[in-house]
Amino acid sequence: MKLARVGAALAIASIVVGACSGSATTAPSAGGGASAAPASAAPSAGGGASAAPASAAAGAVDVKIGIELPLSGADLPNGEPTLNGVKLALAQIPVPGFNVTLNVQDDAVNGVHDPQQGAKNIATLVNDTTVMGVVGPFNSNVAMAEIPIGNAAGLVQCSPANTNISLTKPEFGALDLRKTNPDKIAYVRVATTDDIQGAAGADIAYTIVKARKAFVIDDTETYGKALSDQFVATFTKLGGTVIGGSSHGVPKSGQGDFTSLLSLAKKDSPDFVFFGGVTATGGGLLRKQMVTAGMGAIPMGGGDGLSDGAASVKGSFLNLAGDQGDPNTYMTVAATHDIPNPTKLAADYKAMFGAEPGAYSASGYACAQVILEALKNVGGDRAKVRAYVTDPSHTYDTVLGKFQFDKNGDTTQRIISDYTFDPGTKDWKFVSQKDFGAG
Amino acid sequence: MRRRPGRALLVPAILLLLATLDWSYMGTEQFVNALTIGAVYALIALGYTMVYGIIELINFAHGDVFMVGSFVTYWLLSSLGFNGTISDLPLLVVVLVGTFLAAMVVMGGIGVVIERFAYRPLRNAPRLAPLITAIGVSFILQNIIQIFFGPSVISAPQVMDVQARVNLGGVDVSVVKLFVIAVAFILMIALQTFVSRTRMGRAMRSTAIDRDAAQLMGVDINTTIAVTFFIGSALAGAAGVVQVLYLGTTNFQLGFQAGLKAFTSAVLGGIGNITGAALGGFLIGFIEVNSTVAGFSRWSEAIVFGILVLVLVFRPTGLLGQQLGERA
Amino acid sequence: MSARRLQGGSAPLRLLPGALRRGVERFAGRHQSLAVLVGVALVGAFLPVIVGVPPFSGFGNRNDFVDGFANAGVFVLLALGLNVVVGLAGLLDLGYAAFFAIGSYAYAYSASPFSHLDVPFWPMLLVGAMVAATFGILLGAPTLRLRGDYLAIVTLGFGEIVPVVFLNSDTYTNGTNGISAVYQPSAYGLFGIGSFGFGNPWPYYVTVLAIVAVAMMLLYRLQDSRLGRAWVAIREDEVAAASMGVNTVTTKLLAFAIGASTAGLAGVFNASKLSLVSPDQFGFTVSFTILAMVVLGGMGNIWGVAIGAFTLYEVQSVFLKQLTNFVHGIHLPAVDLGFLRLDISAIDFVQYQFLLYGLALVSMMLLRPEGLFPSRERKRELHESAEEAAESNEEVVQA
Repeated sequence: MKLARVGAALAIASIVVGACSGSATTAPSAGGGASAAPASAAPSAGGGASAAPASAAAGAVDVKIGIELPLSGADLPNGEPTLNGVKLALAQIPVPGFNVTLNVQDDAVNGVHDPQQGAKNIATLVNDTTVMGVVGPFNSNVAMAEIPIGNAAGLVQCSPANTNISLTKPEFGALDLRKTNPDKIAYVRVATTDDIQGAAGADIAYTIVKARKAFVIDDTETYGKALSDQFVATFTKLGGTVIGGSSHGVPKSGQGDFTSLLSLAKKDSPDFVFFGGVTATGGGLLRKQMVTAGMGAIPMGGGDGLSDGAASVKGSFLNLAGDQGDPNTYMTVAATHDIPNPTKLAADYKAMFGAEPGAYSASGYACAQVILEALKNVGGDRAKVRAYVTDPSHTYDTVLGKFQFDKNGDTTQRIISDYTFDPGTKDWKFVSQKDFGAG
Repeated sequence: MRRRPGRALLVPAILLLLATLDWSYMGTEQFVNALTIGAVYALIALGYTMVYGIIELINFAHGDVFMVGSFVTYWLLSSLGFNGTISDLPLLVVVLVGTFLAAMVVMGGIGVVIERFAYRPLRNAPRLAPLITAIGVSFILQNIIQIFFGPSVISAPQVMDVQARVNLGGVDVSVVKLFVIAVAFILMIALQTFVSRTRMGRAMRSTAIDRDAAQLMGVDINTTIAVTFFIGSALAGAAGVVQVLYLGTTNFQLGFQAGLKAFTSAVLGGIGNITGAALGGFLIGFIEVNSTVAGFSRWSEAIVFGILVLVLVFRPTGLLGQQLGERA
Repeated sequence: MSARRLQGGSAPLRLLPGALRRGVERFAGRHQSLAVLVGVALVGAFLPVIVGVPPFSGFGNRNDFVDGFANAGVFVLLALGLNVVVGLAGLLDLGYAAFFAIGSYAYAYSASPFSHLDVPFWPMLLVGAMVAATFGILLGAPTLRLRGDYLAIVTLGFGEIVPVVFLNSDTYTNGTNGISAVYQPSAYGLFGIGSFGFGNPWPYYVTVLAIVAVAMMLLYRLQDSRLGRAWVAIREDEVAAASMGVNTVTTKLLAFAIGASTAGLAGVFNASKLSLVSPDQFGFTVSFTILAMVVLGGMGNIWGVAIGAFTLYEVQSVFLKQLTNFVHGIHLPAVDLGFLRLDISAIDFVQYQFLLYGLALVSMMLLRPEGLFPSRERKRELHESAEEAAESNEEVVQA
C-alpha cells in the first residue's frame, strides 16, 4: 500500500506541475513586449531573444504562425537558426490589425527528426484554430508524413529546406500525398529540389574541378541517397565515370569508420569523392579520414547537408573535417546565394540572436514573409491564406529575392549555389550559382 | 596424456590459410584495415567474454563503457590542450602512456561501480532481471554523456601523426594502424598471462567454472568478480583510446553498434573463452572489410548480425568454446 | 475462484475500496470477457472526458489528446504482445520491433500507390496479424534451444536485421524513402464516415479501443487456458515442465506467434493512421521502449501492462513536455562545474526520456522487479529465488 500512496503523491504532483505550466501555454499573448509563446519547449540558446512582434497593438486579432522544425538534440543546429529567421521576420514586419505570434512544435525525438512526431505536431497545429500557416518541416521524410494531414485540413505549410522531389512533383508520386484535395495544395517550399542539386554537384565535379572519375558514397537516408543517385546519373551523362557504377552506402549507425571504403576508393584513383548525406551521418568524418588515408588532395563534394557553418562552429562539417581536410571541399545549397541584402540580414540577425545566421535562416525568414504577405492581403482566415499562398500568380519579394510558387508548390527560383572552402576565412566561400530555369 | 599434435595446429593452420587467401583478395592495405578494426572489436569483446564467463551476464552496458572511455580520452586530451599531432616523440610517448593508463583506470573503476550497484544485488535473481538492468545502465551512460558533451559528433584530437607511413614489403602502411594492432596484441597477451599465471587469474577461472566450489576453496567471490569487471572495462577503455587515436571521433551513440559487433565477436569465438574473443574480434573485422571490398558496404551490418544469429543457432558454443551444460 | 486469484489481481481493481472490489472481482471471474469489454469501454469513455477538465485541458485541446490516445493504443497493443513473450512465457525478446515493422510493411505494401494494390483495412488487420505470427514462428524457431541470454541476443540480432533488410530492398519496400500515402481505413458509410481521413482522430480512437478490447479478451482466455499455464510452467522451470509433458517447442513457438500477432495488428493500424512507413521507425529504441512498458507495468499482468504502456506513452508525449515548461518557468540558476556546465532550467526532459527510462528500469529491477502492477505469481517468483539464494549462501558461509 506504500506504493499506492507514493503513486498517488506522484500523480498529484504531476497534475500540480502541469497546472502551473499549463496555464502559461493557453494564455494568449497580448500587448507589446509579449514573447513568442511556445506551446511546447524549444530550448534555444538564444532563449533571451524573444521576438516582440512588430504588430503588437491592442485590439488586434491574435493569429499564429506554426513552427514545425527539429529543435533538440543533434538536429538543433538545423532547426534553431531557421526558427530564428522566422522570429526575425516577425520582429521586423508589421501586419496591421494582427498580433502575430508563434506556435512552436519540435519534431525531434531523441535528437533526431521523427516523421511520426511531425505528424502529431501538424495535427496539433491544425487543431489550433489561430494558426494561419506553418513554417516547416526541415526534413523531407517528415514532410511525407505531414503533407497529407495539412492537405486534408487546408493548412498551408511553407518549407524552408525540403528538397526531395516526391513532395511536390506529380511525376514522382506527389499526387498521392495530396489525395484529399489534389487541386487545393497546402504545401509550398522555398528550397529547390534534389534532382537539380545532385546535378549541380556533378556539375561542380565535372566543370569546376574537372574531375572525370568519381567515387560516390551515400548515408542510406532519403536525402543522401537521392542526392547521390542524382549525382551519379548526371555525372555519367556529362561524360564522367563513377567507380563501381553506383553509389556506395554506409550503414546509418556505423562508427563513422570509412577506412575500408576509402581504401577501396583509393585503389581506383578517383579525382573526386562525392558524399550524399549530412554531417551527422558522417560527412565531416569522411573528409577527416580521407586525409588519414592520404587522399586529402582529392577534392570532396556534397550537398546542403554539409552546409552547417564555419570551421569554428563545433560539430560542423568543416570543423569535423579538420584543418587538413577543409581545403578542396565543395558543397551546394538549394537556394540562391545572391540574396538582395545579405549584410543587412546578417547584421540584424546578429543583433537579435548574437550569432551568425544559419544556412536556412534566410529561407525561414522568406517563408514567414510569404505567410505574412498572405495575412496582409486576405486577413485571418486559414483557407484564404492557403489559397493566397498557393496561387501561382502571386510574386513574393523576400529576402531571397523575387519568386513565385508553381502549381505544385515549387519555387520558381531554381537556383543552386556552389560553395568551396576558403582558407582565409575558414568558412564556405561562394563560387557561383546556376539557375536551372523554370522547371 | 597422448594427444595428437596435429589437432592443436589445425585451427591456426586453417586460419593462416584463410588469411593468406583473403590477403591476396583484398590487398595489404585492406588487410591491415581489417586487423585494425578487428583489434578494436577484440579489445571490447574480451570484456564481454570475461564477464559472461564469470557471472553469465551479457553486460549490455559494456559497449557504452567503450564509448565513455573514448570520451574520457577526448576530454583528457582537449583539457590538456592538445589539439593535433604531437611531433615531439618523448612527449608523445608520455601522452600516450598517460592517456592509456588514465582511460583504463577510470573505466575500470566505472565498471566496478556499475557491478557493485546494478548487478551485484541481482546476482541471484532470475536471469531476466540483470539483463534488463544492463540495458537500463546502457541508456543511462549514453544519456549522461549526451548531457555533458552534447549530441553531435565530436572531432577528437589525434595526437599520433595519421599520415605517417612505414614501408612494409613495398606497400605503405599507416603507422597508427600498426600501433593499434600492436597495442591490442600486447594487452591480450598480458591478459592471457594474468589469467593463466597469477593467483587472481586462477581465482577468476575457478569462479567461472563453479562458483560455489571456488567459494568453498576460499576464493573471495565479490573481489574476484570486481576484478573481472575492472579488467574487462579497462580493456574497453583502451579500445576507447584507440578509437580516438585512430578515427579521431566519438559520439554518444557509438557504444550500441560497436558493442553489438563486439558481442558477436565474443560469441563467434566462444563465449567465456578469452582466445576465442580475440579471434572472434578479428574475424568480425575481416568480415566487415570483406563485405565492403565485395561491394556490399550497405549490408555490412546485416551480415554481421546475420552471422551472430547463425552462430548462436547452430553453434552456440562458438568456434573455440566448450560445451556448456544445461543450466536453468 | 482460487484459480483466478492465482493469476494475480487486475491492476485497476486495487484502487477500489474493498467491498466494491470483491463484487467486481466476482463478476470478472465469472464473465471475464465481458468484464474486459466493459473495462475497456469505461476507460475509453472516461479518457476523452477527463481531458476536458483542468489541468489537463491546459495541455492541449481534446482532439490532440484523442489523437495521442490513439497512438498510445498502438503501444498498448505492442506491450500486450511483448507481455505474452516476456511476461507470460519468460522469453526475453529484445527485437520485438521487428514484428511491428513486418505488420506495418505488410499493410503498406498491400494498400498504397507504391504497389498499386488496395486491400481494405479490416481484413488486412487479420492478414497482418497472421503474417507477423508466421514470422514470429520463423524467427522464434532458431531460438528454441537457447537459454535466456542467448535468446535475447538472437532476438536483438533479428531486431537489427529486419529494418536493414527493409531499408535495402528498394523494389519491395521503396528503401530508405519508405512507403508513403498508405491508404486509410474506411467505415463504408457506417456512422456517416467513409474513409477515416486525416483531420479526425475519433474513428482511429474507437478502432484502436476495439482492437485492444478484442486482443485483451483473447489474451485473458489464453492465459487461463492450458497454453497459458504451459507458458507459466516453462517460464518457471523449463526442465520440470518438459518432464511433466509440456511440449516446450510448441509452447514457445506459440508464445512468439501470438506475441508477434498483436505487433502485427499494431503495425497495420499504425501504418494506416500515419499513412507512412519507413525503416527508421523500427529501431532498438522502440523495442526498448516497449520492454520498459512491460517491465514497469508488471510482467505477466495483462491489465497492468496495458496501463503501464498507456502511462509511459503519455508521460513521454505530454508529461515530459509540461515538466520542461515548468522547469523553464521557475528559472533555476545554472551550476558551473568548471569544464562542464549544468543548466537545469535549460534541460529539455523530452530529450532525455531514455535516461529516465534507463533509471526507471534499473530502479525497478533493483527494488520492484515485478513491476508496478504485478501479477502475484511473478512477484512470488522473483522474490522467492532471491530469498532462496540468500539462504543457501548463508549455509555455505556457515559451513
